[in-house]
Amino acid sequence: MALLEVSGLTKAFGGLTAVDRLSFSVDQGQVVSMIGPNGAGKSTVFNLLTGAYRPSAGRIVYDGNDITGCKPHRSARLGMGRTFQSTTVFRTETVVENVIIGQSLHLKTGVWGAIARTNKARREEEKVREKARSILDFVGLTNVATRLAGSLTEEAQKRLSIATVLAADPKLLLLDEPTGGVNLEEIGGLIELIKKIRQSGVTVCLIEHKMRMVMSMSDRIVVLNYGTNIAEGTPAEVANNKQVIEAYLGARRVA
Amino acid sequence: MKGITSPQAAGWLLALIVAVLLPLFTGGYLTSILLLIAAWSIVAVSLNLLYGYTGQLSLGHSAFLGIGAYALALIAVKVHVGFWPAFFAAIAISGLFGFLIGIPALKLRGPYFVLVTLGFAAIVGVIALAWTGLTGGANGLAGAPRPTPIPLPWGGRLKFDSLLNMYYFTLFFLIVILFICHRLVHSLIGRTFIAISHDENLAESLGINTMWKKLLSFTISAVFAGVAGALYASYNSVISPDIAYFTRGMDVLACLIVGGAGTMAGPIIGTFVMTAIPEALQIVPSLRTLINGFILMLFIIFLPAGIAGGFKAFSSRWGLKSEERRHGAP
Amino acid sequence: MVELAQYLLNGISQGCVYVLLASGLTIIMGILRVPNFAQGHLYMVAAYLGFYMVMSYATNYWLALVLATFALGILGLLVYFLVFYPVRNAPEVNLFVAAMALLMILEGGALSLFGTESKWFLIPWSRSVLSTGSLSLQTQRVIVIAGTTVVMLGLWFFIKKTALGAALEATAQHREGALLCGIKVDRISATAFVVGTALAGIAGVLIGPAVLLEPTMGMGPLLVAFSAIIFGGLGSIAGAVLGSLLLGVAESLASGYISATYSLAFVFAIMIVMLLFRPKGLFGKEVWRP
Repeated sequence: MALLEVSGLTKAFGGLTAVDRLSFSVDQGQVVSMIGPNGAGKSTVFNLLTGAYRPSAGRIVYDGNDITGCKPHRSARLGMGRTFQSTTVFRTETVVENVIIGQSLHLKTGVWGAIARTNKARREEEKVREKARSILDFVGLTNVATRLAGSLTEEAQKRLSIATVLAADPKLLLLDEPTGGVNLEEIGGLIELIKKIRQSGVTVCLIEHKMRMVMSMSDRIVVLNYGTNIAEGTPAEVANNKQVIEAYLGARRVA
Repeated sequence: MKGITSPQAAGWLLALIVAVLLPLFTGGYLTSILLLIAAWSIVAVSLNLLYGYTGQLSLGHSAFLGIGAYALALIAVKVHVGFWPAFFAAIAISGLFGFLIGIPALKLRGPYFVLVTLGFAAIVGVIALAWTGLTGGANGLAGAPRPTPIPLPWGGRLKFDSLLNMYYFTLFFLIVILFICHRLVHSLIGRTFIAISHDENLAESLGINTMWKKLLSFTISAVFAGVAGALYASYNSVISPDIAYFTRGMDVLACLIVGGAGTMAGPIIGTFVMTAIPEALQIVPSLRTLINGFILMLFIIFLPAGIAGGFKAFSSRWGLKSEERRHGAP
Repeated sequence: MVELAQYLLNGISQGCVYVLLASGLTIIMGILRVPNFAQGHLYMVAAYLGFYMVMSYATNYWLALVLATFALGILGLLVYFLVFYPVRNAPEVNLFVAAMALLMILEGGALSLFGTESKWFLIPWSRSVLSTGSLSLQTQRVIVIAGTTVVMLGLWFFIKKTALGAALEATAQHREGALLCGIKVDRISATAFVVGTALAGIAGVLIGPAVLLEPTMGMGPLLVAFSAIIFGGLGSIAGAVLGSLLLGVAESLASGYISATYSLAFVFAIMIVMLLFRPKGLFGKEVWRP
């Protein structure tokens, strides 16, 4: 069953068409990677999926719901989580606080409960802390839990942004260049984490430039150029696709 | 969360003791200053919730002050009800205006939001001055009542004719409002406010309905500012339209920033500093805005975190030093 | 019908004040990304400056106009280096607060120096009125319209035909791009601020003789000017001009047909409505992006 179904997705900014009649789908439990040259429109697609941008045309169906054009907090509530290319964490909050904030969409306690600190409120807060601790354990950030997010290394911040989104219990995780700006030695750790996430049942959609990683991890690859998909298929199919090779991979070996 | 025996709690306790006991040993003049500080602190605390903790810079709080004050006077006088029904009606009306203005205003970001709040404050100020039929125009309104005497369990009644009792009345509300803000800000809901103040887009992408949260903060803030307005009206009995003049909102913001926005003690420290010191130096009221402006300018350039914020940063730098040395190893 | 035409004429002359303020505002906002809340107070300072020069020191009006504009420009330079330059990299709210602090300083300063009494800025032709047919306008207001036209033409020439003006326009459109082209953005920011304050200076001395001078005279025009640039679209001087004239006429019509006291409230209400339904304005390029 397709968890995410995109058809005819188009986004035009004035005269520039960033995404042009793009169609693809993501099945539950898969890892689907989106690759393409810079400016091909990959991040724009993510923005359209989450609702940060309104599509000019096309349809997005997620988990059976037509979410075309709905606002970002709604798509998040339906189970779509997303990280950003430029690492965004709450820099002046501690690591554990970041993950607590990530759980906000599941909040049950209302204003009265918060002010009166009812038992229900206290229990929820304890539950939230417990879950934050277990998520930090899952991503491997337990030893920095009380540090300020802004003081972490780039790689740790990437982990934190993933942890924060995981706290919201997404079914579909959109990762925008999760290894961008990370040292070669540290990439392995992030790849392991993504595999762990996929094993836990979350469907992952990945934008990446690092070909070896994409080829080894993905079930399917969607290749974008000038806003539309020029190829789609398994890593083997894509690697042998002439158009893809011309447009992006270059005539020589895969990096 | 900080424990009951922490230095902060001790500081608050000390401040409370001083606030309660000081007027018993000093004359009426000092008590009236303390009352002023307490009342303006309430407005600063309300603005702190909206700006310090939710990140929305509103220049419109003078409007809620005015609405709270005029509503109390008008309802008590024209509808002939006692103080308490008028009081609760007045703060509810202030909250209602906050809600109604917040809905359109909070759709805007950056300077547009600030401008709408400024425009709102300007409009309310104009109405207070010009709509003579409703507000008495430049002459203002008389007749705002003191709180009705409260029967005490051991016989007799607690009357509010005296300055001292009005001071304790105001102090009571300051403490209640501070408590509510403290609980809110440290709760899970409060974390969403803070998230919005740091990075609204990130907060929204995490599923937080930023519009509703901002509106909640804005409305609660308006209610609290309305409380201050109603208390002001009750204490003075005669209200004049300058309570709703837009620079009042700026004065409060100055107090908040100087004290330290985003901290619990900030609004109180700031209001104290910006009220007590000019009084002590006997500075003429007409010079106050000028001096407030200079002080605010100095702080926003050199110490934007304010007194309390700067102190926090200073003391935490000592604590973090050892952690920073450990950082660097993989 | 004659009444309507008269109101329209009044509106245009009123609108010219807003044109000068709004152009300054939109230039400052486009380049420094800060809404200069103090613009109305700078205009007020200029009006008082002109008043004292003419009334107490018997300066020629036109000389006073030039001197006051120059003085406001210097003031702008000072304010830029003492205030906006130090906070240029701070979060944008800090810049808003700095502008607000400037307003407070100017308001407090004016109250202390000039007191709360209104003053009449009198010049040799204060009482004369120009009329054609059944339409009439105070001579000074005609001067306002003429002066504004001259200034706006000069501004257009400066921006479109000089290198500095082109740099200004480039920086307003794309700051990073301008930096990459080697444009010294800090110098441009200073220039923008000076141009903005000078425009407020001209506005103050031009309109001073036509209105009552009070320390609070700047606030109303400031909010209308902001409404005008929101109406016309951020970053567009043409939009600011159009918005200002339209709002000036709207205010005049409201003042004539509804009520003089609430005419300003009416204009603010237009601004609020505009912000809600079309934040980009008529010609604006983008909604505010921090």
